[in-house]
Amino acid sequence: MLNVDRISVRRGKALVLRDISLSLEPRRTLAVVGESGAGKSTLIAAILGLVPCARGHVTWSGAPLGSARPSLVMQEPRSAFNPQLSLRRSVLEPCVAQGLAPDTRRLERLCDGLELTSDLLDRRPFEVSIGQVQRIGILRALIAAPPLVLFDEPLSALDAVRQKHTARLIADLQAEEGFAALVVTHDLGYAAAYADDIAVLRAGKIEEIGAAKAFVAAPQTAYGRTLRDAAFALGALERVA
Amino acid sequence: MRSIMLLSGALLALAVLGPLIAPNDPMAIDIPNRLGPPNPEHWLGTDAMGRDILSRLLHGARWTIGLAFLISVAGLLVGTALGLLSALGGKVVDWGLMRATDTFLAFPDLVAAVVVAGLLGASTGSLIFALTVTGWMRYARVARGIGLSVKSRGYVIQAQLAGLSPLATARWHYLPSLLPSLTVIWTGMFARAILGISALGFLGFGVQPPVPEWGTMLLDARIHMRSTPLQMIWPGIAVVCSVLAINLAGDALRDDLAGQHHAQ
Amino acid sequence: MIRFFIGLFLRATVVLAGTALATFALLWHAPGDPALAVALARYRAVVPDAVIDQIRAEAGFDTGFWTAFVHWLAPMLRGDFGQSAVTGRDVGPDLLTALSYTTPLALLGLLIGLAISIPLALVATKRPGQWMDRISVALASIGAAIPSYWLGLLLILLFAVQLGWLPAMGARTAAHIILPALTLGLGVAASLTRILRSGLLEARGQAFLPAFHRRGVGAHAVERDHIAPHAAIPVITVFGLELAFLLEGAVMVEVIFARPGLGTFLVGAIEARDFPKVQAVVIVAATLFVTVNLLIDLLYRVLDPRIGERNA
Ligand SMILES: Nc1ncnc2c1ncn2[C@@H]1O[C@H](COP(=O)(O)OP(=O)(O)OP(=O)(O)O)[C@@H](O)[C@H]1O
Ligand SMILES: [Mg+2]
Repeated sequence: MLNVDRISVRRGKALVLRDISLSLEPRRTLAVVGESGAGKSTLIAAILGLVPCARGHVTWSGAPLGSARPSLVMQEPRSAFNPQLSLRRSVLEPCVAQGLAPDTRRLERLCDGLELTSDLLDRRPFEVSIGQVQRIGILRALIAAPPLVLFDEPLSALDAVRQKHTARLIADLQAEEGFAALVVTHDLGYAAAYADDIAVLRAGKIEEIGAAKAFVAAPQTAYGRTLRDAAFALGALERVA
Repeated sequence: MRSIMLLSGALLALAVLGPLIAPNDPMAIDIPNRLGPPNPEHWLGTDAMGRDILSRLLHGARWTIGLAFLISVAGLLVGTALGLLSALGGKVVDWGLMRATDTFLAFPDLVAAVVVAGLLGASTGSLIFALTVTGWMRYARVARGIGLSVKSRGYVIQAQLAGLSPLATARWHYLPSLLPSLTVIWTGMFARAILGISALGFLGFGVQPPVPEWGTMLLDARIHMRSTPLQMIWPGIAVVCSVLAINLAGDALRDDLAGQHHAQ
Repeated sequence: MIRFFIGLFLRATVVLAGTALATFALLWHAPGDPALAVALARYRAVVPDAVIDQIRAEAGFDTGFWTAFVHWLAPMLRGDFGQSAVTGRDVGPDLLTALSYTTPLALLGLLIGLAISIPLALVATKRPGQWMDRISVALASIGAAIPSYWLGLLLILLFAVQLGWLPAMGARTAAHIILPALTLGLGVAASLTRILRSGLLEARGQAFLPAFHRRGVGAHAVERDHIAPHAAIPVITVFGLELAFLLEGAVMVEVIFARPGLGTFLVGAIEARDFPKVQAVVIVAATLFVTVNLLIDLLYRVLDPRIGERNA
């Protein structure tokens, strides 16, 4: 179980995260929403230990998180791949690093679910489209069956149909394997449909955190209401509410 | 790119095959025929001990070019390792290593090499040590710069999260970015090493006679400059041609890489 | 700004301390007993152990590394370089004499280098890629590949041995400086031509220049007001680099031409294992370099406030 205990993070002189606490159990999904620049990506980086915490700490079942080998889907999908290597090499890197034999059955299944053809993987990162490389990023994050996956806007470059299929695949896999998922998203419709809980982040603080259904029905804070109403206005929430 | 391959191939072949195609024994002393002019038997003439100059030059290739190769590669390894350590080792390590680099750069490298080799006592070992210890700084600076920029790239973070071993990370993620620039620097340092070895040999601090290293040969030839000036010309031409070839190859390589960079 | 200056001075100090330490460590670890080396150099004979012990105590060699280092460094900070291990004479005045021979040689070499490379670079960049440009690039490439000691020998061979026009060895008359300075100057010219050429091409290629031509600003004015300042920064860098080149070249050239100066002083001292002399040259040269580089960094800052640190 992931435990984030009152962490604060500095970037330069500014405090970009303040006193963040949250916890996430296996099989559960937490959606993190909030305006651009709120500190969502920084939160992920702090959880993974990629930026130092000025205060507080992050644990995984009481131990440091690193040894549990969490995986990450980056916000900028192309920069997550070494331009000099084939995508297949990068995708299989987590298996190689952990000394596992690459599981071809699993790879095929994930490729099918993400609608990726095998020849795409033999290209290099700048030879495929952004949406394709984003899905390949998800593929890499899931290949080694991690206990925790952090998604930073994993569907931002996909069309509506692919968004639905990809979200479906992640949910199915989660039901089978029971990993915990933290998903940063701007899509409240997605959050309401797939997440158990929602955290609203604003200017580095958690504005409110609670069950997803309850948030959609009745946000607790003014900012939460603004966010939800905007999503309604765009039509993103209608199918859920 | 092809011309570089050809040039380096030719130089390497000279260093490896030179001794094999040498017509005579480079050490065979023949006093009656000393300081002979070029003739069918000795194409480039003979030196003060009657040794065949062409054979000495060809054997010398292994010493001068071979040692220069060794020294430039040693500098490459040391410099790259220190540069990456500086980039990845944290603030204190970085500061210390960069000041060490400044210290070694605070002095013209050939003069520093003369001091080091001279004080350690003239021998091939101290020559290698002296030129390596004064020839790693440029690699270190460049490796540090590239290391700093690669360190924060997404794919390196991914490798770190996946738990890829440091060695594999260096091999797959750092090396490909380092290689082009380091190769260009390496050609320059290879040429400098040839000049350095022959300069130290010429000053008497390098490879010791009777080994036919080119600088040492020049030192021998210098005394007989008045009577047999040609004897002094040959080793110089050998040095100039090798250095020129390496420098041209380096220039071509650099232009090639710049072109590739634009194309992408 | 103040922080920047303090940082620069701090760095320079650390570098100098590092050079002193590296030099001393080298002497300390040089093969053989340093006291024995001093004794041999001084008396040129086998000496009793008691004398060696006395030398050891005098020089502080019998204490630990750090004590000996401080013992060694302290007088030098006061500008006292001690006595030659061989002749017993003060090193300082001898070093000054050597410098008084090397300085004119280096300056004349630099002058010759500038006199050759500036016209060559200007002509070459008038029509980049044309035959004049190609010829000057080729000349510079060949020049950079010729070792200075060989060039010196060739010049001696031609002008002194074959033609008999110029004196070669020693420094008895004013004419004795011509061949060494020419050797040095040709080497400087080769490296300067390349640097000046690419600097000029870069400055000429700057995007805002064509606008001036269209507005009718004379080519001459453009050259003076806009190209020159941009070429200034690389030129300053070049002087930093050329200084190293000059010292390096001077060492080789002085040895070839048997000319008194810093190079012969250094090589002679190394051959005689006269440690105080070697140390003096190393420390003085390092101080010179660090000072020049410090000045260059400051000049950069003045010329172009955007530049923070040159090498960072
Ligand atoms: N390297 C950095 N140095 C200084 N400040 C930074 C740095 N990276 C991010 N910040 C600042 O930290 C804050 C949070 O950034 P973060 O990337 O976490 O936002 P975000 O919530 O992910 O936004 P978005 O939805 O646009 O991705 C922003 O104000 C940003 O300007
Ligand atoms: Mg973000």
